[in-house]
Amino acid sequence: MIKRQTAWMAAAATVAALALAGCGGGGDSTSGGKTKVVVWDGYEDAQGKNLTALIAQYNKEHPDVEVTQLVSSSDRVLQKVLTAVRGGSPPDVAYMFGSWAPNIAKIPQVVDMSSYVKQPDWKWDDFYEGERQAATVGDKIVGVPALVDNLAIVYNKKLFQEAGVAPPTPDWTWDDFRAAAKKLTDPSKKQYGWLIPADGTEDTVWHFDAMLWEAGGDILNSDNTKAAFDSAAGVEALTMLQDMAVTDKSLYLDTTNANGTKLMNSGKIGMLVTGPWDLSSLPDIDYGVQVMPSFADSDAGHQTIAGPDNWVVFDNGSARKQAAVDFVRWLTAADQVRTTSLASGDLPIRESVGSEASFRRQLDQNLSGSSTFVENLSNVKKARPSVEQYPAISEAMGQAIVAVLLGKAQPAQALADAAQTTNDALSGG
Amino acid sequence: MAGRWRRLGRSESATGWMLVSPGAILIGIFGLLPVLMALRLSFQKSDLLTPDTPWVGTKNYRQLADDPRFAEAIQHTIVYTALFVPGTMLVGLLVAAALNRSVRFISVYRTAAYITMAVSTISEGIIFLWLTDKDYGLVNATLNTVGISSQPFLASTSQALYVIVAMTIWGWTGFAVIVYLAALQGVPAELHEAAAIDGARPFTRFRTITVPLLSPASLFLVVWLSINALQLFDEVYLTTRGGPLHATTVIVYYLWDQAFVQFNAGYAAAMAYVLFVVSVLFTAVQFRLARKYVHYS
Amino acid sequence: MTTAEMTPELDGSTPRRLRLPFSGWHFVLVPLTFVLIVPLIWMVVTSLQTQGEANRFPPVLLPHHPRPANYVDAWHTAPFGTFFVNSALVALVVVVSNLVVCSLAGYAFARVRFLGSKALFMVLMATLMVPFQVTMIPVFLIVKWFGDHVSPYLGINHLGALMLPNLATAFGIFFLRQFFQTVPVELEEAARVDGTSRLGVLFKIVLPLSMPAMSTLAALTILTSWNDFLWPLIVITNQDQMTVPLGLSYFQGAHQTNWPLLMAGNVMSLVPMLIVFVVAQRHFVQSVAGTGLKG
Repeated sequence: MIKRQTAWMAAAATVAALALAGCGGGGDSTSGGKTKVVVWDGYEDAQGKNLTALIAQYNKEHPDVEVTQLVSSSDRVLQKVLTAVRGGSPPDVAYMFGSWAPNIAKIPQVVDMSSYVKQPDWKWDDFYEGERQAATVGDKIVGVPALVDNLAIVYNKKLFQEAGVAPPTPDWTWDDFRAAAKKLTDPSKKQYGWLIPADGTEDTVWHFDAMLWEAGGDILNSDNTKAAFDSAAGVEALTMLQDMAVTDKSLYLDTTNANGTKLMNSGKIGMLVTGPWDLSSLPDIDYGVQVMPSFADSDAGHQTIAGPDNWVVFDNGSARKQAAVDFVRWLTAADQVRTTSLASGDLPIRESVGSEASFRRQLDQNLSGSSTFVENLSNVKKARPSVEQYPAISEAMGQAIVAVLLGKAQPAQALADAAQTTNDALSGG
Repeated sequence: MAGRWRRLGRSESATGWMLVSPGAILIGIFGLLPVLMALRLSFQKSDLLTPDTPWVGTKNYRQLADDPRFAEAIQHTIVYTALFVPGTMLVGLLVAAALNRSVRFISVYRTAAYITMAVSTISEGIIFLWLTDKDYGLVNATLNTVGISSQPFLASTSQALYVIVAMTIWGWTGFAVIVYLAALQGVPAELHEAAAIDGARPFTRFRTITVPLLSPASLFLVVWLSINALQLFDEVYLTTRGGPLHATTVIVYYLWDQAFVQFNAGYAAAMAYVLFVVSVLFTAVQFRLARKYVHYS
Repeated sequence: MTTAEMTPELDGSTPRRLRLPFSGWHFVLVPLTFVLIVPLIWMVVTSLQTQGEANRFPPVLLPHHPRPANYVDAWHTAPFGTFFVNSALVALVVVVSNLVVCSLAGYAFARVRFLGSKALFMVLMATLMVPFQVTMIPVFLIVKWFGDHVSPYLGINHLGALMLPNLATAFGIFFLRQFFQTVPVELEEAARVDGTSRLGVLFKIVLPLSMPAMSTLAALTILTSWNDFLWPLIVITNQDQMTVPLGLSYFQGAHQTNWPLLMAGNVMSLVPMLIVFVVAQRHFVQSVAGTGLKG
C-alpha cells in the first residue's frame, strides 16, 4: 500500500515537473509600485563597491525603479544563468564573459539590443571596436560592453637593470623580446624571463592569438568556415613560443595557471604578458608597461587582443525590459564610465573617455601603467570569431599550444591537427 | 514462549515499509526523480540554452563509444579510484587506531583530524600546488637532498594524476578517521583483554580481532569512497583543469566541460549515465563480496 | 615507546614498560596532527597578511606585519551575520531531519525483513551515483514546483529550497544501516519477545547503543550542509538568503582573489564547525559499562 502511494506521488511530481519545464514566467515585476531590475554580476572589491554605489545613485534619481544587485562567483555565473533560464526565472541584467556571446545569442529571453543601441543617445560607435565585435553575433547585438582589457607587457624594472638589459620600447620585436628573456633567465636564482599560463584553456590560447595576428595570420577564414591558424604565420608564432619554452628555457610554463602573478610579485619573473587586472596585484615590485612586440617580417604591427565582457539583458516582460535597458544605458554612459574606471582601475569602455588626457593622468596616479593599456586599445584590430563552436576551437588550439610548449609536439603538426579538429567542428560535427 | 519466538522470524512488511517511507519518499522526489529526468536529457541534443532539444535517440551513447577522450577519462578514473580508495582506508585506519586511546589531550588531536574535513578544497589545492612546485616545493627540496632531481609533479603528464591521488587521500583522511573511530568504539575491550591474557601480541590482536569487527565500517567506506572517487571533480577543477594535456581528465571533469564549456548537455548526461551504470555494478559487486568478508556481531 | 598500547586505556594510567611523564604516543600524534592541519595553518597565516604579501610565491610563512583587521574587513564586506544565521538554520533543520528519517529507514534496512527491501535499498543507493552537475537542473525544477504549488518558503530563493533536497540522504541511511547491524541482535530480540514494538526497540535499545554513529552522522551532515556551495549558488538570488560559502565567493573575482580576506572568511566559517566537533566528541566515546553487554 505504501509502495503504491510512493509511486503515485512520484508520478504526480514527474508530470508537474515536466510540464513546468516548458513554462516561462517572469515572477512579479513590481515591488511596492516600483519596476524591479535585477542585476547579477561577479564583481569583487573595488569593482563591486563601485557598482553598489552607482546602483544606489540610480535608484535615488529614478524613484519609480528599484535596481537590485546580486554578487555571485563570476566563473560560475554561467551555470547559475543557465539554470535560471531553464527554470524560468532569469535576472534582468547579467554580467557575462564575452566568449559566451555566440551561445548566449541562442537564448530566446536574451534581448537583441540592435534596435536600442542604434539610437543616437547610446553613442554606440564610442565603444571601442573590439567591444562592439564581442557583443555582436551575426546580426544580433547580444549585450552592451561592460568591461574591456587587452594584453601588454608588464616588466620588472629592477630585474632589467640587474641583467643590464634595456627596457622594452614601443618598437620592440619578438627577437628583441626573446633576447631579453634569455638574459633575464637565471636558473640558479630560479628566475625566468617571462611566464605564460599553460593550462590549455582560453587563457593560453588568447596569448597565442595576439602573436598570430601580429604575424599576419587569422584564426578562421573570412566566412568562419575553416581554420586559418595553421598558416605560415601561425607556425611562426608558435615556433617563437617553442624557441623560448623548449630551447632557451626562458619561458616559465604555469600549467596550473595559479601562480603567475604571485611569482611576478615575488620578483622571480622578468616580464608578464597580461592585462590591467594584474597591476593591483603587484605592489611589491617596480613595474613598467609596454605594448607587445611585433614580428619584424610582418606589417601587422603591435596588435594585441582584447577580452571584452558584456551586460546581457533578459526579457522579463516589457516593463522590466525597458527599465533594464534604461539602466544599462545609464550605466555605460560616459560619466559613469569615467567614475567606474577611476574607482576600479578597469579600462574605460568608451573612446571619448579614454582619449581624455586628464583622465589618463588620473588613472595612472591611481594605478601606475594603466594609461599604456588605454592607449593600447587602439592596437586592438581583430577579435576572436563569434561562432558557437568557439569553445571546441579554443580547446583544440589550447591543447596544440601546450603540447608544443611541453616539448611533446612540433608547431606545424600540432597546428595542422588542431585545424583538422576545428574544421570538423565547424562543418557541423 | 516458542510461539512468540517464531513470530519474531516472520516477515514484517507493513512495519518495514512504514519505517522506510519518509526517507524513501524524500529521496524518491529529490534523488530519484532528478536522476530519471537527467536520463531523458541523455537522449536529446541540448545546449541548456535554447528550448529546442531534439530527440536524438542513442546518438550520444554511440558517440561516446567512439570517443577516445572518454576512453581516456574512464582509464584515468579507474586508476584514480583503485589507488585512492584503499589508500584512504589504510591511512584512515592507522590514524584512527592511533587516536583510539585516552592519553591526555586526545580530544585535541581528534578534533584536529576532523577539522581537516572542514578545510576548503581551495586551501587544500593551494597547499599541494605549493608542496609539489618544481622550484619551491617542499617535496622537491626533500628529494634534492637525497640526490633526486626536481620533479614537475602537477606539470607532468605522467605524474599529475598521482599527485591528485595523494592530495585527495590527504583531504579524505579525516572522514575515514571519523568513521573508523566511531566503529572502534564498538569493539569491546574484553575481547582484547581475553586475547592478551592468551598471549597474543598487539598487532596480531589488531589484525585478527579488531579489523574483522571493523568490517561493517570498512564496507561503508569502500562503497562511499568509491562512489566519490568515481565522481572526482573539485580537486581537478581547482588545480590542473584536467591537464596537462588531459592527463588528469576524469569522467566528471570531462562531463562538466562538455555541459558548461562546450554546451553539449545531452552528451554530458549520456556520460553521467555510463558512469551511473558502472557505479551501480561496482557497488553491487562490493555488496556481494561483503557477504563473505563482512562480519556483523 | 610502548607496544602494549593498542587497547584503549580507560584509566589513562602510564604503562609499566617505559617510564615517561606522559604517554609515548604523543611522539606519533603531534607530527601526525601537524601534517594533517598544514592547510589550516596556512589559512590562518594568510588571513593575517596584507594583499601584497599574500600575492607571493613561494608563500610567505611569517607575516611581517600581521593584520588582524582583515577579519573585521571580511566581516563587513557583506552581511556575514545574516549568512551565518542562514547557514546555521539550514544545517539545524537538515541534521535533525536526517537523524530522524535515516535512523528509521536505517533500522528497517538493518533488522526488519520486508518485501522489496533489497531492491529499495539499491534504488536509494543509486541516487548517490549520478553527479550533481547533471541532476542540479532537474532538482531546481522540482524545488521550483514546490515553491509554486506548496509554499513559497520551500521554493527558489528561500532557505526552504536549501533544506528540502537534503532532508534525507541515502548516505545517512546506508551509514546507519551499517552501524545498527553491529548492535547485538540478542538484546533486540529479548525486548521484542517481551512485547516491545520495533519502534520501541529502536528508541530504547538500538539508539542508545549507537551514539557514536549518530553523533558522527550529525557532525558529517552539519559539515556537508555548512560547506555546500553549488546548490545555494544556483538557487539563491537574494542576498538576504545567502549562506556562508556564497558570502565567501564575494572575495573571488574573475581575475583576482582577495586571499587575505578570503582566508579570514574561511577561518571564521570554520569556527562553528570546530565547536560542533568539540561537542560531538563527547558522544564519540561509547561507555561500555552501562549497556549490560556480555562479550
